[in-house]
Amino acid sequence: MPWNKIYHLYQELQAYIGWTDDDARRVAAAADLIEPHVIELIDDFYEEIARHPDAQKVITGGTAQVERLKGTLRAWLRDLVSGKYDIDYVKRRWRVGYRHVEIGLAQVYTNAALSRLRRGIIQALERVWTGDARGLRATRTSLNMLLDLDLAIIEDAYQTEFSLRQQRAERLIAIGQVAGGIAHELRNPLNVVKTSVYYLVNARQAPPEKVRQHLERIERQVELADRVITALSDFARLPMPELHPLCAEKCLREVLELNAMPDEISVKLDFPPDLPHVLGDLRQLQIVFGNLVRNARDAMLPQGGTLTIIGRPLEDDVAITVADTGVGIPRESLERVLEPLFSTKARGMGLGLAVTRSIIDKHSGRLQVASEVGSGSQFTVRLPAAHDGSEFREGSGFQGSAKDAGA
Amino acid sequence: MSNIVSRILVVDDEVDTCANLSDILTDLGYQVDVAYDGTSAIELVKQNAYDVALLDLKMPGMDGLELYRRIKQLQSGTVAIVVTAYASSNTASAALAAGAWQILPKPVDLSKLLGLVDEAVGQPVVLIVDDDHDLCHTLWDLFRERGYRVCMAHDPAGAAERLRMREHNVVLIDMKLPSGTGADVFRLVRQANPTARTVLVTGARSEMEQLVEQTLSAGADAACYKPFDVPKLLEVLASLTKHEPPHADNRPDR
Repeated sequence: MPWNKIYHLYQELQAYIGWTDDDARRVAAAADLIEPHVIELIDDFYEEIARHPDAQKVITGGTAQVERLKGTLRAWLRDLVSGKYDIDYVKRRWRVGYRHVEIGLAQVYTNAALSRLRRGIIQALERVWTGDARGLRATRTSLNMLLDLDLAIIEDAYQTEFSLRQQRAERLIAIGQVAGGIAHELRNPLNVVKTSVYYLVNARQAPPEKVRQHLERIERQVELADRVITALSDFARLPMPELHPLCAEKCLREVLELNAMPDEISVKLDFPPDLPHVLGDLRQLQIVFGNLVRNARDAMLPQGGTLTIIGRPLEDDVAITVADTGVGIPRESLERVLEPLFSTKARGMGLGLAVTRSIIDKHSGRLQVASEVGSGSQFTVRLPAAHDGSEFREGSGFQGSAKDAGA
Repeated sequence: MSNIVSRILVVDDEVDTCANLSDILTDLGYQVDVAYDGTSAIELVKQNAYDVALLDLKMPGMDGLELYRRIKQLQSGTVAIVVTAYASSNTASAALAAGAWQILPKPVDLSKLLGLVDEAVGQPVVLIVDDDHDLCHTLWDLFRERGYRVCMAHDPAGAAERLRMREHNVVLIDMKLPSGTGADVFRLVRQANPTARTVLVTGARSEMEQLVEQTLSAGADAACYKPFDVPKLLEVLASLTKHEPPHADNRPDR
């Protein structure tokens, strides 16, 4: 733990609420007054917990645990009125929040518990106070400030630890999903390699051309496996795009040359001749449209259909729609299609659209999906138009950095 | 049956996987056909009575489960071995429930696969000719569990087609059929599969008695009466095929 940083935060909060050494002295002076009531405060506290099932359920160790916890609370109360609020004090407060996450106590109970203790302490103080009303008010204020500071540190600890654990859990889930996707994509080529090797080792009569065929097959499948790994590492570190004005129609035509459509699919391109250029990274946009075009094709096979690609100016952008007449995406999948590792295909890791969206985001563009089961899907990519050779647009920073233009 | 080449169908959308399995099985003396999708697999199944079908579970379009269901309708005597990268999936257990014989994880353990193929092609083939579809399916489950391959026909014309497509070890013939009698089917068996043993079956004992007697004296091996004494029927089958059924406790419950 970065204790110095946490202590620094504590000091900053002290200054913020106006805590001074006088407050520390006032609290310490009240210690003797509060001490005789500590036991009843503690008993009341745990009786109250027993009345709340959600809070009670974290106490799994029965009476023995309650006794131990009472000891901890007693130490906490003594510490509170000790008048010494150094780095070790802050560490002990921080650990309370950490421990609450560890035992699975909902955060709301930290607030509620402190509120109950606060009321108990103040009431005890008021009952036994012998000085004047002004002194009581000042001591009460100091105690409240101290408790607020305690709460701030405990909650900060709680949130830090909680989100840390959540991130860890999410990372584990993601690793599991990635592993599952890779496992499947790698097992297919491995299966082929394994069976080819089996043939080469065991065949009773293997003519030379068969042997060569199998060796070539092994080579091809190893390459395929390698491509899976390349795709994955590409996704892990996609470079920032280098934006230049480019012709969307030309880009799409190149993509269609690289991804030939079978005879069952007819292709229609609709780009007005005066459509502005877009600002984009040609290589990355080819990945974007390659993914969209291949998805459209897969959605229409084996029946066939029509692939329509339309370019239109839209405000300061150019909108390019890739529409198919394929199977469509069911409503429940529509929200998930852009998520990494989500796939409805028999073969696929579910990276295509996630990469697509990631690239478009880095272009300060937008990706919209509309689909109807049975009639087809439309993916619309909005990219900033390049105006008269200018590579800038008001209000957002392109030029390879789109950090502040969050889609 | 040993003098006849066993036929195997391999269905996988991976062209290379099909090619490899085909090479390995061909080298071992099987006759192999491959299909890359369910639709073309079904076309092949319509024309050929395969002994074994190796089916990939996850394929674009029709998956292995759906494909197996269709194959079972067309050629219920084909033994299915389903290969999957997701051995624990629901579809895999659904395939077993639908009657697929074995599920193998991918990548395939070839010595295990080849052992299973060898075992499957050695299982005796029983043809049931009965117009009661429910009874046919019940017997299918019952016989399959004991390691028989089970084909079905529901009238003499259907029986003729089955008999033309493959050899059978035993034919169970219901004496009362739509557009014909069991005696007609018996004659068909004699022509098409002369080595096949025959069991006559009837629920109308008094009505069919005479025809049963005649057919028995013409060479039918046994007669069984409905409702079946199941252990007795199984005993008759086992003695006619000299087949030792696998232990029932090794089989999953169906």
